Order: sequence, then C-alpha cells, then structure tokens
Amino acid sequence: MKPSNQSSLARTFATGLLLLAAGALTGCATVQPWEKGNLAKPEMAFDGDPLQARFEQHVYFSKENASGGYGVGGGGCGCN
Amino acid sequence: MRSTHLEADGPRFTLPRASSAAPARDGRVGAVVAAALALPGIAAAQNAPESAVLGLKYLYYKDYQPGLDRIEVNSPSLYLLTPLGRSWSVEGSLVVDSLSGATPRWHSSISSASRMEDHRTAGDLKITRYFRRAVVGLGVAYSTEDDYESRALSADLRLSTDDNNTTITLGTGYTDDIIKPNPGSSVASDEAKRSNDFIVGLTQVLTRNDIVQVNLTHARGRGFYSDPYKFLDRRPSERDQTALLLRWNRHFDSVGGTLRTSWRSYRDSFDVRAGTLGLEWAQPIRTVTVTPSVRLHTQSAASFYVDPIPGTDVPPVVSLDPPFYSADHRLSAFGAITAGIKVVVPLGRSWAIDAKADYYEQRGEWRVGGDGSPGLAPFKAQFYQVGLYYRF
Repeated sequence: MKPSNQSSLARTFATGLLLLAAGALTGCATVQPWEKGNLAKPEMAFDGDPLQARFEQHVYFSKENASGGYGVGGGGCGCN
Repeated sequence: MRSTHLEADGPRFTLPRASSAAPARDGRVGAVVAAALALPGIAAAQNAPESAVLGLKYLYYKDYQPGLDRIEVNSPSLYLLTPLGRSWSVEGSLVVDSLSGATPRWHSSISSASRMEDHRTAGDLKITRYFRRAVVGLGVAYSTEDDYESRALSADLRLSTDDNNTTITLGTGYTDDIIKPNPGSSVASDEAKRSNDFIVGLTQVLTRNDIVQVNLTHARGRGFYSDPYKFLDRRPSERDQTALLLRWNRHFDSVGGTLRTSWRSYRDSFDVRAGTLGLEWAQPIRTVTVTPSVRLHTQSAASFYVDPIPGTDVPPVVSLDPPFYSADHRLSAFGAITAGIKVVVPLGRSWAIDAKADYYEQRGEWRVGGDGSPGLAPFKAQFYQVGLYYRF
C-alpha cells in the first residue's frame, strides 16, 4: 500500500474518533424516561428489521465497492 | 471481503406493540415508560429482551442490463432472538441463497458472459450477556458456497450512561476465508484471505424526538482479493477499508411520521472513495406502516481499474506493468440510485407481515464529484422481500 493511502486512512480514523469524543463530551439536554414514548416507537429503531438489514447489506456489498459502518464480524462470501 | 450484519446497536424490531401503535398521550406516562423500557438500546440496554422473536423472510433478486438477463437469486431466511433468563440472550440467523444466470468476464460485455450457478448457506449466532450498564456480545458466522468458505468471530461491548441516553460501542471481528475456484471456469488455485475489523460507535438521544448514531469501522485484510472468474483480474493482496456512518432518526409529532437519514463516507487502499445517502420516511396509516425510501450511492474507481478500449467492449492490452489489473465494473466509477417501498401490517399483538420492493440502477454518468467510467452498460436490479415476525 502507498504511504499516502495509509496516512489518509489514519487521518479519517483520527477525525472520526475526534467526532465521537466531541459528541460524547458535549452531551445533550437529558431526555427523561417518561419523555421516551416517541423514541420507543419501532420505526425509530436503527435496524428494526434484522433480516432486511442483512439482505440489503449483502446486495450492496456484492454490487458496489464500499462496505462497512454497521458492525463487525459478519463473515465473507464469494459474491464480490 | 465482508458482509457485515451484526449490528452495532443490538437487535430492535419493527413488530408493533400495543403501546406504540397509537401516539402516546401525556396522561399515559405509565404506558410510555413501559414502552420505552421494553426496547433494548433505548432505555434498558442492561436487560435481556423480555420476549422472543422469530422472523422468516423470502427474498427474490434479479439483475440485468440492456440485452442480457444476468443473475437471479432466490433466498429464504430465518431469524431467532430469545432471552435466556434476565441476563442472557441468543440471536441467530440462517439463509440459503440459490443463484443462477450469466455474468460478463469483463466490463458489461455480453459476448464475454458465462453461465454460472451457485448455492450458498450462511448462518450466524450471537450470545449476549447483560450487565447493569454494559452489554457484552460474542458472535460466530459461517458461510459456505461451492467455491468459497468463510468463518468469522466477533466480540462487542456496549456501555450506557445511567440515563441510557448515551451508548458507546466497541467491537472487533476476525474473518478467515478460503477461495476454491471452480476448475472448469478458472485456472486459479485455492487461496486464502484473512481480515480484522474494528468498530467504535456512539448512539445518542438528542431530544424526545431525535436519536443519532455515529459509527467508525476499519477493516484490515490480507490475502487473495482477485476475482478468479474475471478476465486476467489481479488485485493487491492487502486491502484496508474505513467507513464513517452517521444515522439520524427524527419523529414528527405533527404527522406521526419518522424520517430516517443515513450518510456513509468510505475510503479504501484500492483508492476507492464512496459516499452513500439513505432517506426513509415511515408513515403509520391506521395500523399499517408505509415506508418509501431512496438511496443514493457514488464511488470513484479503483486505481487499477481499466476502461474498455473506446468504442468497443474490449479490454485494453494487458501488460505486467502496472502489476494490478481489473475490468470488473463494480470497481469502476459510477453513481447508483435505489427507490423502494415497504409495507408492514400487524396481525394482532404478536404477528406482523411485511412486503418490500426495490428498484436499483447504476450508471457511470451518475457519479457525483467527478467523471464516471465510460463504456459500460447501465446495470439494473429489482429485489422483493416478503416476511413475517412473531413475538412470543
């Protein structure tokens, strides 16, 4: 791998870490448990349908050249 | 290569609950709290799910280009999540894919297309332990095809604040793949590929109507990345991939709908840069939820991708300098659009059925932020899903 690629990947990773740290530290106005009715709605879940999420990530993984962002350890396939 | 599906924020379900089928009223604090506490990841990350969930889904997929029907896939799948006491849960899925059709050996050349057929069986299993403010998960995944085998391990940790408004996710995975090219279609010998991946994530409740998530993933892979069935395909033996995913779900009280937005920025050591935007609007109409969606993707080409000779569908003369070469259209520069619609219908308190249809198309000229790769036919796909979930 070219050094420039390595440094740009490292830069992206560092930027992301900073964003995460900033988000965690700044925090937000606390939402109380009795205010979470809307947050508890099924459509507010990030991956409400686990089989749909698996299928669509598999499709895009096999037809495009980008993947990742959702989790770890899903296993590979010969589709790409 | 990876097909990640162990989600960073743990399992949650669209199966409607009696308490969430109608907007909560101010006077019904008890019901709202109960609904909030019942969802893992929002208000009670430290407790195992209270009920089990069984899911079944049937998937049909086909892709094509002008003048050539390409791959068709039929794929039933099964999902189960069940609590084991108050502190443990087990989650697993199983899928069987049957593929058949034709695929070009280079670019979108119809004359180079060869017939193929394959079967894939894949499964994953995850065991989760719930502590007071932490959740620890260990997972395994296995996938086998006629010419490919993959084994993966993963571990993740989720830490939540006392008010459960902030959750931090840390995780790592290891994947060991064996490639066994079919001797009738390829001259390549058996090969291997191994990769490690990592995730750091933050899920934050912003307001009573907003929740956001930021995930950063990084994968380091070493081994055989070439496609043994593509014409003279030679790719680097290392690949590092980084993705930053931002997701934001916002509920609108005025119309009772929810906007789900996601943005992923991606780059890798093949010199590919990509961006993917997802927009979904979930609208409850009486007891049914209708969700139209659109997804926009753009990517640059890999540094070793070669265009066809202008005016032809023939790849250029091959030389050994540079040493890497690919005429695989998936490594080209293009833009892609998906438009879809999903309908979820609850049946009583425990069952829900769903159906979803998507149309997908990718074209070189749709790339955003630069020129797309020339000389490729538009690539199109349709996929359909029907399923049911049962909570017990």
